[in-house]
Amino acid sequence: MISLKDVSYSYLPGRNALDRVTLNIGDGELVAIVGENGAGKTTLVKHINGLLKPSEGNVVVCGLDSMSVTVASLARKVGLVFQNPDHQLFAETVEKELSFALVNFGVPPDEIKKRTEWAMSEFELSQYAGRSPFMLSGGERKRLALASVLCYGPEVLILDEPTTGQDNRQKVRMASLLQKLNQQGKTVLVVTHDMEFVSDYIPRVVVMSQGKVIADGPSGEVLVKKDILEKASLVPPQLAEISWELGLDPPSISLDEVVARISRLPGGARP
Amino acid sequence: MKVFRGFEYRRGTTAIHTLDPRAKIVYLILFTALAVFYYNHFVLIAIFASSLPIVAIAKIFGKWSISIRGSFMFVGFIFIFNLLALYFMSGHTLEAAVLSSLSMAIRFICLISIFSTFFLTTSPEDMTQSMVQLKIPYDYALTFNMAMRFVPTLSKEAQYIMDAQKSRGLEMEKGNLVARVKNYIPVLIPLIISSFRRAELVADAMESRAFGASKKRTSIYKLRFDAKDAVFVLIAAVSFTALLSLRFLFSVL
Repeated sequence: MISLKDVSYSYLPGRNALDRVTLNIGDGELVAIVGENGAGKTTLVKHINGLLKPSEGNVVVCGLDSMSVTVASLARKVGLVFQNPDHQLFAETVEKELSFALVNFGVPPDEIKKRTEWAMSEFELSQYAGRSPFMLSGGERKRLALASVLCYGPEVLILDEPTTGQDNRQKVRMASLLQKLNQQGKTVLVVTHDMEFVSDYIPRVVVMSQGKVIADGPSGEVLVKKDILEKASLVPPQLAEISWELGLDPPSISLDEVVARISRLPGGARP
Repeated sequence: MKVFRGFEYRRGTTAIHTLDPRAKIVYLILFTALAVFYYNHFVLIAIFASSLPIVAIAKIFGKWSISIRGSFMFVGFIFIFNLLALYFMSGHTLEAAVLSSLSMAIRFICLISIFSTFFLTTSPEDMTQSMVQLKIPYDYALTFNMAMRFVPTLSKEAQYIMDAQKSRGLEMEKGNLVARVKNYIPVLIPLIISSFRRAELVADAMESRAFGASKKRTSIYKLRFDAKDAVFVLIAAVSFTALLSLRFLFSVL
């Protein structure tokens, strides 16, 4: 359970990066956080793992108040994977990279071995076990960064822009991985600009703009609201645009629903 | 890392901002030499005070105070370290050790103040241009300019990296001195690697824009050393001579 209550935060005096944000995310939810550049998405997720502490309001994650615990103890429960893998890879080998967090959290050695092997096979990195992380390709480094967080088994997983620079096959893989983790009962948050990714795979969406949450609800309802999407400078999902153009009522982002409604139009598509 | 903000150039129109960088370099060199030369606290304080009118005229008090305040930690470290070394290892009396460490600390603040005022009021382009006009090869001048330009970028990047590693359970402040130094490895390695990556990118970008295509560069804008620059240099030179003469007239050390 993640609960933010009236959270405000500012990097520079006079301008709030977060402005009285209230947000509740239940255990086992899969949620997307979207919004324009500088809307406060990354600032928000940094509050959830304790890297930033609210100037006002409070943040409670898995029963811990972020003000009273260290980043390390919160990070044990909340895994945050940053956008740029080059900001965290440093070890001599892929295997050591994966064990870094495990060693920090004091996991016993035989358990570390088991977890790193699991992570390497899960992310198709086994053949690189003894290789330097810097010799991997961009996509592989991104997977390694994700694996290095997942392998310590955080209850909440937050991904910052996981799909940028990934081809479609990797995106689909990423989506099925997120859904699998979610089915295992993990809470997953995804910060992204990729609206098609959100509309295809993520059931709940939180829209931020200028440090505020301006919409929060099921993706099917939020992503068809033109004014909200425009305000947060988001590209509408293609199905939403089709719905608007054809005047479907209610508009939808589900392919089946859009097809069904089109065929009900006078002179609509043949089945 | 905030201390770097006390060295970042911001456009300005004051008399100090519009001075020829070469005039400011003269001041920088003369007063840095004095700060290194003297041990006497009062002279060092006078050297520090010499940068105050510049700060006032250039209206950079806010930024300048960031660099001064930011240096306090290092100043404290220098003071304590010198004190311990002089008292326990070189066998100075306590009084001599305190006075000498105090000089070291004030000297450091002097240097920060002089360099901070220089970098806060001198645009990197002007600095490169002045180096070129001082007959320093353009490649070296540009290298210097770019090194300065990437300092804030690096400090921002270091912050990102620290966030990423803290999220994987790295505790920077944990353990004894050796352990703490070791804690920096997961931060330094990505920082160095990404600097190399960036250097390569910058090189490619420059070559794509035909860097080095013509042997003889011309510039549309030339720095002119005029009357106000001469006045500034004169003031700097006179106060330099006055401070220096203390050594010979009153044998102040």
